[in-house]
Amino acid sequence: MKYSLHIFLIFISLLVLSACEKRKTLVEIGNEQQVLHVGNPDEIADVDPHTTTGSTEHNVQTALFEGLVVQEPETLEIKPAVADTWSVSDDGKIYRFHIRDTAKWSNGDKLVAKDFVDTWHRALLPALGNQWASYLFVIKNAEAFYKGELKDFNDVGVKALSDQDLEITLANNTPYFLQLLNHNSMYPLHTKTILKFGAIDERSTLWTRAENFVGNGPFMLNEWTPQKLISVVKNPNYWDVQNVRLNEIRFYPIQSEVNAERSYRAGQVHLFDKLPAEKVSSYSDKKDPALRTFQMYGTYFYRFNTTIKPLNDVRVRKALAYALDRESLVKNVTGGGELAAYTLTPPNAYGYTSNTKIPYDPNRAKALLAEAGYPNGLGFPKFKLLYNTTEVHQKIALAIQEMWKKSLGIEIQLENQEWKTFLENQRTMNYQICRSSWVGDYVDPDTFLQLFITDGGNNETGWSNPVYDQLIKNAASATNEAERFEYFQQAEKILNDEVPIIPIYTYVRNRLVSPSVKNWKNHLQDFWVYKDLYLEPQATK
Amino acid sequence: MTEFKINIEKGTSLTHDAFMRLRKNNMAMIGLCILIFFIAIALLTPLIAPYTYEGQNLELGATPPSALHWLGTDVLGRDQLTRIMYGSRVSLMVGFIATAVALLIGVLWGAIAGFLGGRVDAIMMRIVDALYALPFTIFIILLTVIFGSSMLLLFLAIGAVEWLTMARIVRGQVLTIKGQEFVEAAITMGLSPWQIITRHLIPNVLGPIIVYTTLTIPSVILLESFLSFLGLGIQPPQSSWGSLISGGTETMEEYPWLLIFPGLALSLTLFSLNFLGDGLRDALDPRASKD
Amino acid sequence: MFLFILKRILQSAPVLLLVTAVTFFMIHAAPGGPFSQERAVPPEVIKRLNERYHLDEPIWQQFVGYLGHLLHGDFGPSFKYPTHTVNDLIAAGFPATFELALYATLFALVIGLTAGIIASLKPNSLQDYVPMSAAMLGICLPSFVLGPILLLVFGIWLQWLPVAGWGQIAGDKILPSITLGAAYAAYIARISRGSMLEILSQDYIRTARAKGLSNARIIFVHALRGAITPVISFLGPAIAGLLAGSFVVETIFQIPGLGRFYVQAAFNRDYTMIMGCTIFFAFLIVVFNLLADVLLVLLNPKVRQEVSGGH
Repeated sequence: MKYSLHIFLIFISLLVLSACEKRKTLVEIGNEQQVLHVGNPDEIADVDPHTTTGSTEHNVQTALFEGLVVQEPETLEIKPAVADTWSVSDDGKIYRFHIRDTAKWSNGDKLVAKDFVDTWHRALLPALGNQWASYLFVIKNAEAFYKGELKDFNDVGVKALSDQDLEITLANNTPYFLQLLNHNSMYPLHTKTILKFGAIDERSTLWTRAENFVGNGPFMLNEWTPQKLISVVKNPNYWDVQNVRLNEIRFYPIQSEVNAERSYRAGQVHLFDKLPAEKVSSYSDKKDPALRTFQMYGTYFYRFNTTIKPLNDVRVRKALAYALDRESLVKNVTGGGELAAYTLTPPNAYGYTSNTKIPYDPNRAKALLAEAGYPNGLGFPKFKLLYNTTEVHQKIALAIQEMWKKSLGIEIQLENQEWKTFLENQRTMNYQICRSSWVGDYVDPDTFLQLFITDGGNNETGWSNPVYDQLIKNAASATNEAERFEYFQQAEKILNDEVPIIPIYTYVRNRLVSPSVKNWKNHLQDFWVYKDLYLEPQATK
Repeated sequence: MTEFKINIEKGTSLTHDAFMRLRKNNMAMIGLCILIFFIAIALLTPLIAPYTYEGQNLELGATPPSALHWLGTDVLGRDQLTRIMYGSRVSLMVGFIATAVALLIGVLWGAIAGFLGGRVDAIMMRIVDALYALPFTIFIILLTVIFGSSMLLLFLAIGAVEWLTMARIVRGQVLTIKGQEFVEAAITMGLSPWQIITRHLIPNVLGPIIVYTTLTIPSVILLESFLSFLGLGIQPPQSSWGSLISGGTETMEEYPWLLIFPGLALSLTLFSLNFLGDGLRDALDPRASKD
Repeated sequence: MFLFILKRILQSAPVLLLVTAVTFFMIHAAPGGPFSQERAVPPEVIKRLNERYHLDEPIWQQFVGYLGHLLHGDFGPSFKYPTHTVNDLIAAGFPATFELALYATLFALVIGLTAGIIASLKPNSLQDYVPMSAAMLGICLPSFVLGPILLLVFGIWLQWLPVAGWGQIAGDKILPSITLGAAYAAYIARISRGSMLEILSQDYIRTARAKGLSNARIIFVHALRGAITPVISFLGPAIAGLLAGSFVVETIFQIPGLGRFYVQAAFNRDYTMIMGCTIFFAFLIVVFNLLADVLLVLLNPKVRQEVSGGH
């Protein structure tokens, strides 16, 4: 017995001893060596931009690739990158880019105009199954080629005029085209490397392994151990390498935001994706300089299944929407500083703000419900509110359940499902009301309003309005911005009159970025830009 | 727990003695009282709960314990005392029913396998092995994913997992005592295998069974909380201790009372179950009475 | 003995086949597929992906195809992480999980047996209540509560130990091992206390005492040997459970282990990964159960006789 007690005591004292000496944290060491430690919200599926779609992958891809142009995160201003100059024709349809002489791949190969042609050719090969292919459809004949109606890629509007000059012909005047070029789906890929490891349209070959990878971004792939680490190091062949000050970025997949925050506090990461809402006040109260709060180009909303009774009655949909006190929701429930949303498109995007809205008006909500035949919710059928399992969605759903009960006398049931089941039910419209969200692919109302065209892949409400469809089409071929925005205003008015969805809030992101990280900038779509970052050791407390 | 009482009541004077001994064990009696207290609360909750379990007060939000809300409120301003009371219904029910299922199957299975030995034992234990080899965590996850989460599924799934270990332990014990004189004596006396198993083997391995049962109930309650942690537990706005605790863990620094009180309710229940189990073990040990 | 082991191994083949079949049909019955995501995937893309991974074939045909690959020891490519094969991912994740389970088991054994023996020597005294109540804490606190508490106290408030990683910073293996092992320590403590009490009250111990053998000798040589039997029958499956149950701890401490891969695969509908992990874990469970049985046989001469004589 004595022995076992001894063993126990020895164990405890070993534990204490081993722990007692003051360690330097990863962040402190990283600051000295210009190594940035980043918490990425998940393990990446792949590095190849043509076969991945998530922001998790995007966070890594922005380090490894660079498009023709980049966007200044805070002002959204377009700046030269692989292309040093460019020109646009008067009708806005023909773009000519000059690729800078110093542009190179990470293996030292020269980056030429044809690389873009080959990359986009690959992106449009149907067998590849590129989910971003529709992004390229703004280019003339790209859609026809993708659908097999056109066999010869030379007829698609991308041409290498010389090694240095690239000409792109668009189908329509697309004011947001330069923005698209900064998107991962438009990055150039080193097709020679891809061909070394398989056919050009073969998915998921080994070309993205660290030892095989070739890219053109400020960093290049150094190590990729699943669920553990992705390390990227400075690319010596990058054209602007003298201005890259970080030596390495290490991405750790951290699935839980709560865990990520703890890693931050323990000095193991410089920054991570999202600070959970409950933690925000503890940082904002003491004005912690690490806390960055910024609006995102995304909307949280509820979808109605407009094909079933009684939700096919616009009065019922309006009643449910008008009864939601979204101000109270963002103030008391979500807690991350979100903005109450009364229309689908987030405000102030390159000058567009919807001039109609779905108001909060409980009295009219009651009247509308009575008009629809359910005074005080009497006889209203039982229905379910579907959401996927996370704490935030649950809190919001519970609050909304209570709001409808109090103000309309309607009892709803909540149903939470895990992600894939939820998606399946949303996709097949096997729901009555479900939780949804959309973050814009580019900063333009088009990315939101496109969602609800008849039979759109992301419509998922069964709602359809031919006038709406026409307005969206008109906007696409409009010749100037005022005209385009006018079409969008009219379309959004229809959406707000017929209420196939209830906008709830505009996303606001809270992020902790260690004060030692300099030049970190917030971006409306939350693109992470690493090129200009550097680390400055902090005076120890 | 019901099984024990049945065993105790229909037993001989030996078990009557055991019951008397149990009454003298203070810790066990305190455990029993706490357990009865929680069971009573679970039964009476709809009558005595101060609020409704889903009633919110968004303006109020999360508040520490106060005169109005004795155990504080959660982020939606719901009364935590009420939610813990309703949660006890779910958690205790899962714990007792699933354990009862596991106990019944496991004890009989293990005892029969251990006593009969040979080929029967081999076959029976291979079946246990086969079931053991299923990674049950994933199976329960898959099941809840396919069929949605429901109480019945929870009982079945958990009961199906827990009886296996019970069967193994009982078998192991039976193997060690079956060579002893009293069993051999019973065999020569011509008792049927069933009689030997129920009258001689099971009572004599009751110690480990009770110890393991007192471990099974908590582990069942914990398994339910693990499912809650994965988001596969009970549907809101209903609550179970597991769902309250797993929710409370997320905000344990901001709103510690949301973790402490449901955690306390769970721990108290588990502690009392264990002390009661210990008491029963000591009381039921037939040899202890010879001292 | 050798025959006994061989026989058990042969017997486990149908078990593994059954596990494979049940899992295969179950995961394919689960709603949602590996390629669905929030942004609608164009139907033609889904079609191509299904063709590529043979998901467009009838389910039995897929199963036969899968078994064919399985016979060659090939689990196929992961659906979620398509550049990696399931074999690679298992090889990448298992060492960490195994190491974690090993340390957790050692921790559980040392703490559990110590507490159990101490408690059994003076039942119903303070010496019984204190270690057992401490052991109880391990059972009462789910690992998803204990983990964050340890992490907050030792990682953040005291800054003694790292809060994440595995083998990256010195000391990052301590907290996860304790978190995972705590519940099992409690189980072992209770089981060993129970069986110690049982044994200490038996006649041969009384005889030993009467013969004047020292207390330590009685406890460590005679009683412990008998008392450890139920601990071992608990341990076999427990280690398997530790491996599969390490998911929570791996998530909390961001350990690149297989448990984390596995549970996420279920949520991701990563069919091949779920299958591969299930079969792999099932195999491990079979092995550990076998090991436990062999140990039991070695420790208990009566059973040993039966095994060698009976078959």
